[in-house]
Amino acid sequence: MALRRRARLACRAVFPPGGLAHLFVAGVVAALVAGVAAVERKGALQLMLSRPLVLGPLLGWALGDAQGGLVIGIPLELLFLGGVNLGGSLPDNETLLAGAMTTAAVLAGEARGTGVDPPLAALALLSLFPLALVGRHLERRTEDRNDALFELAFARVERDPDPFPINLRGLVLPFVATAVICFAAAFFSPILAAARSSCSLPVASALTGSWHAVWALAAATAIRAVRDRRAPLFALASFAATLVAALLLSGRP
Amino acid sequence: MTAARPVAKRSLLRVFFRSLFIQAAWNPRGMQNLGFASAMAPALADLHPDRKARIAAARRHLELFNCHPYAAAAIVGGAVRLEEEVASGGATSQDVSMFKSSLASPFAALGDGFFWLALRPAAALLAALAQPYLGLFCVALFLGVYDSIHLGVRGWLFATGYQKGAAILEILSRAHIPAATRGLKMGAAILAGALAARGVLLAAEPHRPGNGVLVAVVIVAGVVFLPRVGLPVALYAALALGLALGGGFL
Repeated sequence: MALRRRARLACRAVFPPGGLAHLFVAGVVAALVAGVAAVERKGALQLMLSRPLVLGPLLGWALGDAQGGLVIGIPLELLFLGGVNLGGSLPDNETLLAGAMTTAAVLAGEARGTGVDPPLAALALLSLFPLALVGRHLERRTEDRNDALFELAFARVERDPDPFPINLRGLVLPFVATAVICFAAAFFSPILAAARSSCSLPVASALTGSWHAVWALAAATAIRAVRDRRAPLFALASFAATLVAALLLSGRP
Repeated sequence: MTAARPVAKRSLLRVFFRSLFIQAAWNPRGMQNLGFASAMAPALADLHPDRKARIAAARRHLELFNCHPYAAAAIVGGAVRLEEEVASGGATSQDVSMFKSSLASPFAALGDGFFWLALRPAAALLAALAQPYLGLFCVALFLGVYDSIHLGVRGWLFATGYQKGAAILEILSRAHIPAATRGLKMGAAILAGALAARGVLLAAEPHRPGNGVLVAVVIVAGVVFLPRVGLPVALYAALALGLALGGGFL
């Protein structure tokens, strides 16, 4: 632990937070981690390392604030819990959003010295959410381009009946697209930090309210993600039971 | 008809490993065909020393194929078994194609229902609910619960598909997967309800019941309107509502 702390302090001395060199190094780290996650999301293994719940803390840890990554990862996980890749349909790209948002918010929090607080997380989501839609569009384009790999494999089958190397080439575009966007997100972090620093107390309070609303919507999305007509009923019963138990335990009427 | 020539164990392991990349080059025309053909290649190399026969086998596995990526392991295993029979003259290449096309859809439905719509929500909600107590270890909880089941089932499907061939369908029909799916979904719904209640309680603290009511309203509105308005609209509406009414949160 002491060694890690010393290494971090040495890194900070060489690359002071918020400086261009620091952003560049952090951007490269974010690009590599998020790029691998993008590959894992659909094309390889699918161990769920690309889910926001895992990618947020993992990327946060790589950038120096795992807890900040968790602050972002859990609500994003719940918001996208119902997004399922069924047949040819594509859900919004939660991995790209989680990667970019964690990168920008963790670096902004580090530059401010406050970590990722709810107003910062709300600002990051407000500004970066469209990336989930952009990611879906990019994924569709990638799949269309994979048609060329299919044709290549078919044309080459006489020469080489093992198409594994061609199959793996399908992983390149998701890696590159996500890595580039997450690298860019590192350079967005100073803007995010400046926006957060300029928030007056009432604005910060309102943004905290927004983050609570995001959590509420995430809970609603999670209930909806259980695609069973009895799910809302079970959720309602559990909701009521939890409230009653909490009120009883706290000694309120 | 000659005696079936089994695929070497090492090749079977390579087939299984490659089946983990079945969606690497998913494409609209052949869907998972490239991944499937890639996975089969080590087995085909064992079974068809004759290059022409190997090329013909590789070509037929480039036909359209689409299934749930985990459940596809059973079909890959079964296809290896059938290819052994094709090599020994006990089955025809059409039998392999028929096996793949007839099982792909039911297995996809089974896999989607169990993994995507039941196990993943249940594991994620369990981790989210455990986060205040476990901190960062909730991530390990999620991965431990999900991947121990996922990898176990994936390996079992592949091995059983290889051992039983077409009989895998009968074995799966006795595995109580729909019942397990229903149980997991109900468990996930209960966890989601508890999580929603925790959100309300946290917002209402300290002594701000109005904030709790605001969060509860967003939850109810989300459950009711989400399917109609979609996530982007719902998210920005929630953010805007929070901004407008959330002045007392700090």
